[in-house]
Amino acid sequence: MKKVIMGNHAVSYGVRASEVKVISAYPITPQTHVVELLSEMCANGEIDAKFIKVESEHSAMAACVGASAAGSRAFTATSAQGLLLMHEMLHWAVGARLPIVLANINRAVGPPWSIWTDQNDSLSQRDVGWLQIYCESNQETQDTVPQAFKIAEELQMPVMLVMDAFFLSHTYEIVDMIEKEQVREFLPPYKPDIKIDTADQHSFGNLAGPDHYMELRYMIQKAMDRGLDVIKRVDSEFEEMFGRGYGLIEPYRCDDAETILVTSGTVASTTRVVIDELRDEGVRVGSLKIRVFRPFPIEDVFEVLSKAKKVAVIDRNISFGAHGIFYQEIKSALYGRTDIPIIGYIAGLGGRDITPKVIREIADKAIGDEQPERYINWIGVKI
Amino acid sequence: MVKKIEFESYKEMPIRPMTLGSMMWNLTGSWRNVRPLYDFKTSPCILGCPTNENIQRYIYLVTEGRYEEAWKTIIESNPMPAVTGRVCFHPCMTKCTRKDYDEAVDINAIERSLGDMGLENGGWMEKSKAVKKEKVAVAGSGPAGLSCAFYLARQGYPVTLFERDKALGGVLRWGIPEYRLSNELLDRVIKQILDSGPVEVKAGVSVGTDVSMDQLEKKYDAVFLGLGLMSSRGLGMDGEDEDGIEPGLDFLRKVNSGERVDPGAKVVVVGGGNTAMDVARCALRAGSEVTVAYRRTRNEMPAIAEEIEEAEKEGVAFHFLAAPKELVRRGGKLVRVIFQKMELGEPDDSGRRRPVPVEGETIEMEVDRLFTAIGEQADLEGIESTVETDWDLIKTSDETGATSNPKIFAGGDVVTGAASVVEAIAAGRKAAERIGRMFAGEPEPEVEEPKTVGIEDMNTDYFTRSKRNLVPRISASEAKTGFSEIKTGYTREQLASEAERCFSCGVCNFCDNCWVYCPDVAIARHEDEYEFLYDYCKGCLICVFECPCNAISIREEGK
Repeated sequence: MKKVIMGNHAVSYGVRASEVKVISAYPITPQTHVVELLSEMCANGEIDAKFIKVESEHSAMAACVGASAAGSRAFTATSAQGLLLMHEMLHWAVGARLPIVLANINRAVGPPWSIWTDQNDSLSQRDVGWLQIYCESNQETQDTVPQAFKIAEELQMPVMLVMDAFFLSHTYEIVDMIEKEQVREFLPPYKPDIKIDTADQHSFGNLAGPDHYMELRYMIQKAMDRGLDVIKRVDSEFEEMFGRGYGLIEPYRCDDAETILVTSGTVASTTRVVIDELRDEGVRVGSLKIRVFRPFPIEDVFEVLSKAKKVAVIDRNISFGAHGIFYQEIKSALYGRTDIPIIGYIAGLGGRDITPKVIREIADKAIGDEQPERYINWIGVKI
Repeated sequence: MVKKIEFESYKEMPIRPMTLGSMMWNLTGSWRNVRPLYDFKTSPCILGCPTNENIQRYIYLVTEGRYEEAWKTIIESNPMPAVTGRVCFHPCMTKCTRKDYDEAVDINAIERSLGDMGLENGGWMEKSKAVKKEKVAVAGSGPAGLSCAFYLARQGYPVTLFERDKALGGVLRWGIPEYRLSNELLDRVIKQILDSGPVEVKAGVSVGTDVSMDQLEKKYDAVFLGLGLMSSRGLGMDGEDEDGIEPGLDFLRKVNSGERVDPGAKVVVVGGGNTAMDVARCALRAGSEVTVAYRRTRNEMPAIAEEIEEAEKEGVAFHFLAAPKELVRRGGKLVRVIFQKMELGEPDDSGRRRPVPVEGETIEMEVDRLFTAIGEQADLEGIESTVETDWDLIKTSDETGATSNPKIFAGGDVVTGAASVVEAIAAGRKAAERIGRMFAGEPEPEVEEPKTVGIEDMNTDYFTRSKRNLVPRISASEAKTGFSEIKTGYTREQLASEAERCFSCGVCNFCDNCWVYCPDVAIARHEDEYEFLYDYCKGCLICVFECPCNAISIREEGK
């Protein structure tokens, strides 16, 4: 069945279809609709889950940690300041190897206070150890929720689903709805081998000396390494069942492209419009959407970009004192290919619109730019 | 020597940071400096009830749908919940903690529902046999006598129950009108009590006259006197024995025995107690225009508030601060009563303000019949010589009914003066228990002051404000046309819903809060209780604060 729903609700319906058992969340703009609808679904019995109201995001994640450790499928959603307040618990979820799924609606971090989108909130959690998947449409968002649980539970790692505030969260699109009866086949009930169980008592999250700490860290990285294959396999299983797949990355008209624009989130859709426009003009350009950011699909990215003559990266974020964060990842992926200039563009911070005109400007600059690649290109800055 | 935990490969390690063995050896309870302990208090309602029904317990059992156990819990201290559930003045509800939150739980209505279930399910009543040799005579088959006989029989003592009327029940039968307690229902209650144990009935035999106290003392090992109050007090006015004046109790007796009565067009009832209300409402049903004259104000009326409200709704008029002063007759027939106007002065011994006459101010009322209901008195003919008395009442040394004569016990109105059904039931039970201890040679137990709780002790965060479930009743206009029972009783849904309102003050109602919130999993949940695992309880006291009922107390360790 197809429905016109908002991006936030696409998350809620995805959660409903995934038969989550514990939802613990604190409302924050622009995430609020996600948990508002979920609380209604819990209240009216559409979801057989415990909805835990908490006093902060730190507690929201703490409750998810407890629920997941006890063997329940747990979900939360947040944004910006909320995600940052969770930070300590995000580490906990990774260290304790808990397959929690979190939907983060990308919102710029204050001050100055902002409710509009950019990616600095989720990207500043880059090194925590959560898998990160950036969604582009409501359909993809809904479909990614059960995928995320399946990936998380197989790897015993938490997964963050990320989407742009307003441009996606508050935008209505047609979504082919997935239902739990069908999803159950794809995502069976969560039955962990190890869980908190009063009949089999162990101490969890206990002290580990220098003898063992490193090994546990090693195993987390091993899980991340396996992650790329698992994500691909889960995605193709989903595609087989529902006819829709999303991949780790999504190249668009890249095969013979001389210049490739690297994007993520909703900017990817806008960019494809500009690519078509340029192609109509005879310019050989393509675009590459990065869907999975952690683990970073370094080989897949290399495979696509290494054929280009030039790469332009659009970052809706900035690592102060360094560069755009996707830019750094791409550079790292193309290490050694000094023949391919990689140019970074910072655009759309704090929700400033990245229109086709802006992307066209970036593309034009990239194609003709002779600037040294280390230079940060700020798009549209008025000072 | 240090023994290291060695792994051949990382695959041997669990992916979670966790111990491989159980950590139960780690008795973290040693961190504790205070301990929580289950410490049940006595709910205020139970202390408010003269016969100390375990109200908290039976309401809890109702919430669990365990009706038979609930009924049996009442029967431990009251053999006739179907009666008290209808006529009790329910002091339990006055003490209900919930009244300090929204409205008291309607304990009375819950009791009635259970009482009725107990009558419908005859098998719930356990039968007792005469296994003891000591015999007891119980005089009077009102609430005190029935209760005493019942609790003696339950202990296995054979009882002979004497009643001077032909029918049993005493004041329950002749004093309480049909619309509050029908004779049909009373018959069933009495039958259930008598059938349950070794009780022999001698009806139509008046103790003190038909059979002497001497004979009883010789034949029985103990005698219980639950004689009640048999006659109305007089007004002490000239001409009160002549036409137009009738004791209220006599009138009630006629009405309750089904006799046709015609009290006349205009009726005045003098008094402010339950008898006055019963007389007024019966006269109203006989077609009279009824006024209640009371020498104090509404606030001082001893009648149950609900009775006053119902009487008023049915159309009984009230005249306060009026005391009868003079009877006016024409041709020997009462036509008018002159009332002295009163005002309230200083408080008297009862704490109520004393009525004093306002000099020179009177009120006249046209009257065909004046009923007196200003109090009742005992009839101790043939008895006063065997026990010490105080005015016309029997004197007892304590609430177990011991009199100046070691073989004779007494309880109910004949000891207290006009009181209540439930107080008489309590007196009968306590005397039966005392008599049992006397026969067994057991000492009287020392009674400790019970610990109780108030609204400030409850964690009201766990309770939603809610209205009391109103007992369905027929309309006042329908009620006054006949003697149908006014209250029709809760539906099963209302019963369950009202029981859910109980705070379970000071007593565990198995809500699981302590068990759920304990961060150390240091509480074990058993079939019908929780247990602190002190080896692991760190004394954080979260359980104490999250217990809605104040069923957990704190004790300092090492002191």
